[in-house]
Order: sequence, then C-alpha cells, then structure tokens
Amino acid sequence: MAPAGSYEALMAAIHAGCDSVYFGVEQFNMRARATMNFTLEDLPKVCTICKENNVRSYLTLNTIVYDHDLSAIKTVLDAAKSAGATAVIAADQAVIAYARSINLEVHISTQVNVTNIETVKFYALFADTIVLSRELSLIQVKKITDIIEKEQIKGPSGRLIEIEIFGHGALCMAVSGKCYLSLHTANASANRGACVQNCRRSYKVIDNEDGHELEIDNEYIMSAQDLCTIDFLDQVLDAGVTVLKIEGRGKGADYVKTTVECYREAIDSYQAGTYTKEKVAEWMERLKSVYNRGFWSGYYLGQKLGEWNDAPGSKATTKKIFLGKGVHYFDKIKVAEFKLESYELSVGDKILITGPTTGAIETTIEELHNDKGAVNTAKKGESCAFKLDTPIRTSDKLYKIVDATLV
Amino acid sequence: MITIIQQRAKCIGCNYCVELAPQRWRMSKKDGKSVLLGAIDKKGFWSVKVREDELDSNIAAAKACPVNIIQVIE
Repeated sequence: MAPAGSYEALMAAIHAGCDSVYFGVEQFNMRARATMNFTLEDLPKVCTICKENNVRSYLTLNTIVYDHDLSAIKTVLDAAKSAGATAVIAADQAVIAYARSINLEVHISTQVNVTNIETVKFYALFADTIVLSRELSLIQVKKITDIIEKEQIKGPSGRLIEIEIFGHGALCMAVSGKCYLSLHTANASANRGACVQNCRRSYKVIDNEDGHELEIDNEYIMSAQDLCTIDFLDQVLDAGVTVLKIEGRGKGADYVKTTVECYREAIDSYQAGTYTKEKVAEWMERLKSVYNRGFWSGYYLGQKLGEWNDAPGSKATTKKIFLGKGVHYFDKIKVAEFKLESYELSVGDKILITGPTTGAIETTIEELHNDKGAVNTAKKGESCAFKLDTPIRTSDKLYKIVDATLV
Repeated sequence: MITIIQQRAKCIGCNYCVELAPQRWRMSKKDGKSVLLGAIDKKGFWSVKVREDELDSNIAAAKACPVNIIQVIE
C-alpha cells in the first residue's frame, strides 16, 4: 500500500507495482498542510486511474472531527462513494458511521490505536481492515491474526478481518501519532494534519536557577529514525499481516518509486522462497538512496525503545538536482527532448524524470544530442535530447541524481 | 478602519479564529473552512474593512492561526 500525495507519486506507485494507494483530499487528513494534497475535484480522476490499473484506492479521512466539519465530511464521503473509491481509512466514529450508512467500506486508521483482539472484534462490526497500533511487537500482532483466523472474525463484507501495519517510513515519538507538541508551540494540531514537526529539531536544557544551558548529547532527542522492515519482512508476513503500508504522502515520486519497488520485490521473493540476505542488503542500499532519517525496526521486534535521529533532515545517500522541463517526445525514434534551465547534463549521468502522468522514471544517459549534434555535455539554456523508451510530456521535470556527499 | 485579509483555500478548519473573534468569523458547514464575515473575494484573498473595536480580537485570531493565512492591517 503506497502513499499518493500527488499525481506524480500516484503514477510512480502504480508503475512500481503497488497493490493499493492511499491519499487525502482537502483538509480532512493527516497531511492537511501538504502543498500537494488532492482536492474534491481530483477524486474521480484519482479513482479512475486506480481502477484502470487494477489498484485499490483508499481515501484517508482520519483527523479529529468537529461539528462544523460534519456536513463537509459527508460531502467528501459521498464523492468517494460515487467515484468508486475502494474504502475510507477512518478514525472518528462520525466518519465510520456515515461511511457504513452509505455502504462505503471502512478501514480503521492507526490513529484509533488498536492494540488488542477485543478492540478488533468491536471494530469488525464496522470495518473490513484494521491498521494496528505502530507500537505492537510482531508477537502481539501474530496473536491477533491467529485469533481472527481461529474465531473467524469477519467484517461487514463477510471476509475475514485483514490486518495492516506500517512497513516503512517516518515514525514519530508519540503513541499512534497522538502528539500535542505542535499544537502547544504553534497552535497547529497534528491531529488535524497540521503538524509543524518540531520534534525533528535539536533542543537544549536550561537550568532555571543559574541559566546554564546544557547541550544534550544526542541533540535530536525526540526525532525518531524512520521505520524499515525489509530486513525482517519474512517475520512480518509470518505474523499474518496482509497489508503493508508505506508512509510518505509528503514525499516525492522518486521516494515512492524506490520504496514500492523494493517492498514489491521483497514480498514477491518471500512468496517465491527466494528472500535472501544478499537481496536484503541490495534493497537496503536502494532505500538509503532516497529520503530517510536513518532506519530502525520500530517496536516490532520487541523491547528496543526509540532510536533517535542525529540530524535534522534526510540522510539519503543521493540527491536530486532540478535540470529542466520536458519539451517533446519523438515517438518513432523514441527520443525525449528537454530544455535545461539550470546546471548541465552529461553522458553517464543518472537522471530522474517525474510528472503527473509519467510518474517517476530513472535511467542513465548513454548518448546526448543538442542543436549541433552529438555532445558529451549539454549546458544550461540549451535544449538536449536522448533516447528514452517511455514517452515524456511537457509537464515532466528532469533531475540529475548525484551522490549526496558531493553536493 | 482596519482591513482583515484571509487566504481562504489554505484554511484547515481548526476553529481558532471563531473562538477568538466570533463576531467576525464563522465555520462554513459547506466545506468546513472558516468564513470571514462580510468579506469579498479577490483571487483567493478574502478581505473586509472593519471598525477599530474589532482590532484586538482579530489580531489574536491572526496570531493563533496555525497556517498563517489571516492578516490584519491597521
């Protein structure tokens, strides 16, 4: 299950082989602030793209809900139903109840913090999939899935309850995201999707009596590293988890493409009996190349408490540098033309192309042409063309991928 | 007179402005975002001129707004 914060990320997720995507519309989701949120008008198009590609579409509507939101939320749910969204991921009982009343499938959000089988049984009255709390161990998860199987606990659809967990991406220091830090310091409630992420900063302790400032050894005391489960995915799947969620609706198409591809390959390898240490090492390298705060295994492997980040931002081993925009694609000869607006492009460079229809494409430049013919390097301001098997559009952006230590 | 401006599309419907300056703000039942009463829309920026006695409460609303979309000009 992949995050879709934009059309670029949506297409990248689909091309990378996801089974389902989740996305928010308007302000009623945990990324209300994200500049790339979908609007109500986008909903039919997003659902149509998913249907055409045999991918399930989940609308996230999991914020705190006030009375003044109720009418707008009904409008959004009605729109999701008529657009053919597969399900809504909900936390508030108002959302759950209305979705059920219009026969829209409900999934219980991790915001509900489901941690035991009795709670699963309760929500099975309304929901077909339940996202467990991110703080459970895999042993606890397995107990829950075993009882679902043994007692045949079914949702409104008549199918056995499916259990979903977070598989990869940002974690926060608060239990199931129930955090008030951002609300207290910036009036911006994380539970209304407006988190300012102040836990990701460094802090000092000040002695109130003498004013001494103490630097804390690991400055980023509240900034959790990112969750990564690919190195023990066999245990995750053995625990009976059927949906693995990748976090990152605020992240770019390149992140979505790489993480979805790695987890797709890992799940397929596990099922084919070819999940090996060598492959895990290779996936880890690829995951490290896109946005990350360093990795840890979360709480899944038991008593290993928070591992904190030691830097404010990403530790990605590569960076993308914007070069220019798409000009034309020559169908017959399979050549893509771009106009370089900054930096230069050379033969041998690794590139990334992203766009709302294109998704994310990564490749290496083998030959390059400008107005004058074949060249080794095309400069800023020039138009350049190179071979590419997939069409590009004028809405596409071209990036160069470089080693992060060189920038 | 003072001018109050709201960049409405970015509102996340937190309700702070309504709590702090209820005479000037309402929550819309239609889309769950706040409405600046009496304001007119100019390319997404809603603005209204009001009397000085509304200054303090609207400055409080502007300061509280988590997405910084309220501006009060004296």
